[in-house]
Formats: sequence, structure tokens, C-alpha cells
Amino acid sequence: MHLAHLALTDVRSFRHLAIDLAPGIYVIAGENAAGKTNLLESVAMLATTKGVRSGPDLDLISWQAVVEDPLPAARLEADVETAAGKRSLEVAVIAQVAVAGVPPTRAGKRFRVNGVARRATDLIGQLRVVMFAADDLAIIDGPPVNRRRYLDLTISQLDPAYLRALQRYARVLEQRNSLLRRLQERGGRGLDQLDFWDDELAAAGALILARRAESVRALARDAADRYAELAATTEETLEIRYLPGVPASVQEALREHDLQAHLRAALEAGRVEDVRRGMSRIGPHRDDLSFLISGHPAGMTSSRGQQRSAALALRLAEVALSTRRTGDPPVLLLDDILSELDPRRRERILHVAYGVDQVLITTPDEDRPSREELPGALRMRLFEGALTPIAPFEAG
Amino acid sequence: MNDGRDPFLPGASSPIARLVEAFHRLPGIGPKSAQRLAYHILRTQEAEAQELADALIEVKRSIVFCQQCQNLTSRTPCEICTDASRDRHSICVVEEPLDVLAIERTNGFHGLYHVLHGVISPSDGVGPEDLKIGELLARLRDVETEVSEIIVATNPNLEGEATAMYLARLLRPLGIRVTRLARGLPAGADLEYADDVTLGRALEFRQEVQ
Ligand SMILES: [Zn+2]
Repeated sequence: MHLAHLALTDVRSFRHLAIDLAPGIYVIAGENAAGKTNLLESVAMLATTKGVRSGPDLDLISWQAVVEDPLPAARLEADVETAAGKRSLEVAVIAQVAVAGVPPTRAGKRFRVNGVARRATDLIGQLRVVMFAADDLAIIDGPPVNRRRYLDLTISQLDPAYLRALQRYARVLEQRNSLLRRLQERGGRGLDQLDFWDDELAAAGALILARRAESVRALARDAADRYAELAATTEETLEIRYLPGVPASVQEALREHDLQAHLRAALEAGRVEDVRRGMSRIGPHRDDLSFLISGHPAGMTSSRGQQRSAALALRLAEVALSTRRTGDPPVLLLDDILSELDPRRRERILHVAYGVDQVLITTPDEDRPSREELPGALRMRLFEGALTPIAPFEAG
Repeated sequence: MNDGRDPFLPGASSPIARLVEAFHRLPGIGPKSAQRLAYHILRTQEAEAQELADALIEVKRSIVFCQQCQNLTSRTPCEICTDASRDRHSICVVEEPLDVLAIERTNGFHGLYHVLHGVISPSDGVGPEDLKIGELLARLRDVETEVSEIIVATNPNLEGEATAMYLARLLRPLGIRVTRLARGLPAGADLEYADDVTLGRALEFRQEVQ
């Protein structure tokens, strides 16, 4: 798939940017504050509806719009061409102005597919992206929530049922935890009030567990191969393991049809302790991944270079997974990651870039990656919120 | 007025503290909002404050809960509960009084109602004991009851489903058929805003709760 058109209105540093795009590799050069990352993150947001960075949605709206417009809003629009046809997507982030003249403190999001107002779940998956960024390292050495977020953003783009289960799970979990605290205040009487919430938690939770296990198996296999190529040695290995946040009895059922029943039974068995602690202790909200480099946890013992290779291998595996599941490769976004890599690793990444329909690469240096490394790439300059093509003869 | 106490000083007997406290007891009003409301009242004209006070008392004196269906009414038992032409074999259980109006508009239901005044939602601090479920049980246990079916018409969202499931498990031992509106309503939709045709079909094709 590829983006045929991208328009950003009042998105962070962009007042208005509109560009027609074709399949191929784009190199977007710009100074450090030119908004290169904002540009790629905007494309990612059209794919996932979520900001790449955590932080309030209000921050997405350009500050000029917040100051000048009575109803400030950021608008992200894209036309996407896929194997299945053409579609137009829109994400609008609209500031909620409570009192005229008082700066807004919150923003809401609205979505459109082909011009029709839809839910976030209808938009996600219409455009698929894999974004490589410097802070991908935080997937490996950050807290478990980073790894769950990684899995959620990756699998949601491929699987609407997974996304719906995630949303339902989050709401049920909140209700169940509230009920646990309520039961705790009442000395644990009325445990059967948990019946409905346990049924629902088990239904949504089993789907999440099964899809994560299946996706991690595929990712781990590909990532191991890609890591071997990046490291150029068979001495070093990358192993990715799924660590489900459920007891062994449920883990054993991960590939079975009765996973839901096992999870339901474990939830019921854990009720008294859950009430005592006032929280749900088991379920996919406690999942984690472990990255082992040559058998040792990557977060602790490996070098920065090894961690970087592991993060790259994971993203490359994600490209393969997305392509295999849908038969249509995702759009690649490389946010200034090439300059830090040695030529061998750079070559491996670019090799994959030639295997997809469209790649957007940002770089601070117009001539890197070089024209020899990337023959046929279109080069553009990002300056003061506008993109202009760099003519081939301009380069020395 | 001047009994030597400063009305602005905090303390149980200060008029402002009493007003703040009274607002704070209302659902969804935190301490900050309660203060804001109290100071708003302080700044308004006396006539406006009087109007609010009168409306509060008026509603308490003239509107009551129907002792049978728990709907809001000016006399109890209400018009529907006393209407001899209505079918006494089925009770439609709804969340709010407005849902009764929505179902009446469909002309598809001629039985009786029971208004729960909410749904089970632990995160909002609402459990079964906070709803009019005890009153429903009392109606069903009445020796003269002719009820053989309970139609649970709570909204098709998580909390509405939780309530329906709770009622089904509670009522099944009484030998009463418990049904739920058919899936015709879009998930997450409010009964109150459903169009009459959709709601009428959801009633017609109701299903037994498993
Ligand atoms: Zn009545």
C-alpha cells in the first residue's frame, strides 16, 4: 500500500502542508527543528489514531491555531491506495473550548473514512505503517507497559477483533477493579457479583492472550533471522519470549480452544486474593515480553549496539508480519535512524525498504543516505513547514 | 442574621458550609464543584435563588415514586399500573423513567414496567443494592402476582448487560422467564434515542437470557 496524498492542517509545527505522493522511497531532509518527526508521527497517527508520543492530544494542535482560532483543531488527512482499492482517511483533533477566551485544556478526536464519520476502530488498519525511531530502544529496556503498547499498536493494525477486545477488556477491567475495592470494604461478601465481569474479562482476555501469543511467535521467528543478518554472526542470537500475565494452568491452554474457560476458572480461583489486594492480578494487562541476546536479558547485560540491533530486528519482523497477514506491505517510516548505523546494518534496512511499496525516510543531512546507497529515491527538503523537491542536479 | 458568627467561617453551622455540603451530597458533584455552585448562588439575585428553592420543594411534594413500578408520577400507583387494560403477565424492566416513554411510543408493549433508576456500574459506585431491585422482587413475590415474563430492556452496553445478567440469575429460581431485547439495537446505543421502529423490533424479537 502507499499514501497517494497527505495533508496536515494546524498539526504541531505545520499550518498547512499538502503533498501528492507516489510509490517509492522518499528522503526528507531538514534541520533538527524542522518538524521531520512530527511529519512521520502524523502519518503513524493516521494508521493507529494514537499519538506516537504519550501526552495530551491537545498538544497536537499548532499553537498558532490555539492562539488565533476560536475553535482550534488539527486535521490530518490521507488518501491511501491499497491492493483492495483507494480510500481517504481523516483524523481531526478538536480543542474543547469551554469558555470563549479561555485557553482549552482538553481535546477530542473525530475520524472519517471516505468522508463518513466513523469510530477509531473503523479507521485503524485502513493504513498500516511500521515506524522505526530512535526511541524504539525503550521497547527493549523500558517498563513492561512499553512492550504491551508495542504489541497493541502492532496487532491492532492487523486485526480489528483484537482492537475491539482490547477496548472491551479495558472497560471490564476498570469495572472489575472498582467492584473488588467495593467488596473489600464489605469484608469480601457478595463475591458472586463478580460473575458477569469475570465472564467478560475471560472472553476478551482469552482473545487478547491468544492473538498476542500467535503474533509473538511469528515476530520472534523473523526477528531471530533478521538479528543474525544484522549482527553478521551466528555467535549472537536474539530470542523473544511472550510472558503472559496468567498462571501456568492458563498458559498451558494458550493454544487450546478452551483458553477462555481456563482463564475464567483462574479468575474465579483468585477472587479472594484479588479482593484482599483490591486489584485484578491476572490477565493480559500483566503481560510482558522478554528479549534475550545470546540467552541473557537484553535490558541488562547487552551493549547499546546489541539492543539497537534487537529493536531493528523487531521492526523488520513487524514488516514481514504485516505483509504476510494482509498480502500487502505496510508503509515504512524511518525517522532519522540510518545515520547512527554502520554500513552493514544500513544495507539490511534499505534492502527491506526496496521490498515495500513506499518508504518515508527523514534525515538531517541531504546527502545521507547517499544517492549511491538509495538509487531512485525522491529527495525533498522540509523547511518552514513546507516540502519542496530537491532537483537531482542540486547535489554535488 | 448577625448572631456574632462570621458566615464565611468554615464550620458545620455556617450557612455557606451547609450549602456547600448539600451540593456535595449530590451525585457527580465533587468538593470543588460544590464550592463553585455555592458561590454562584451567593452572587445571584434573591429571586433566582428563591425560584430554585421553590422548584426543589415543589418537585419533592408533587412528584413521587410509584410504589409499584418505581416510575416518577404525580400519584401512586401510577396511571400505567392502575390501567386495567394492560397485560399483567409481563414486566418490562428499564433503567430510567425516560425509557418508559420511549417504549410506550413504539405501541409494541402493553404490559407493566419497572424502573431501576440506574444500572450496575461499580466504577460509578452503583451496585445492585443501589437500584430498585428489592422492589421488583417484592412485586414478584406478591401472592397475587400474575407475572410470568420479565423483559430486561437495559441499554445494550457493558453495564446494561451486567444488570440484565444479574437479574436473570436472580429471577430464574423464581420460575420466571427472563428475556432481553433482541440485538437489533446498535451496541452502545441508548434506548432513549433509538427510533420507534428499531426499538419495536428489538422488543418483538426478544430472546431468553442464558
Ligand atoms: Zn407504576
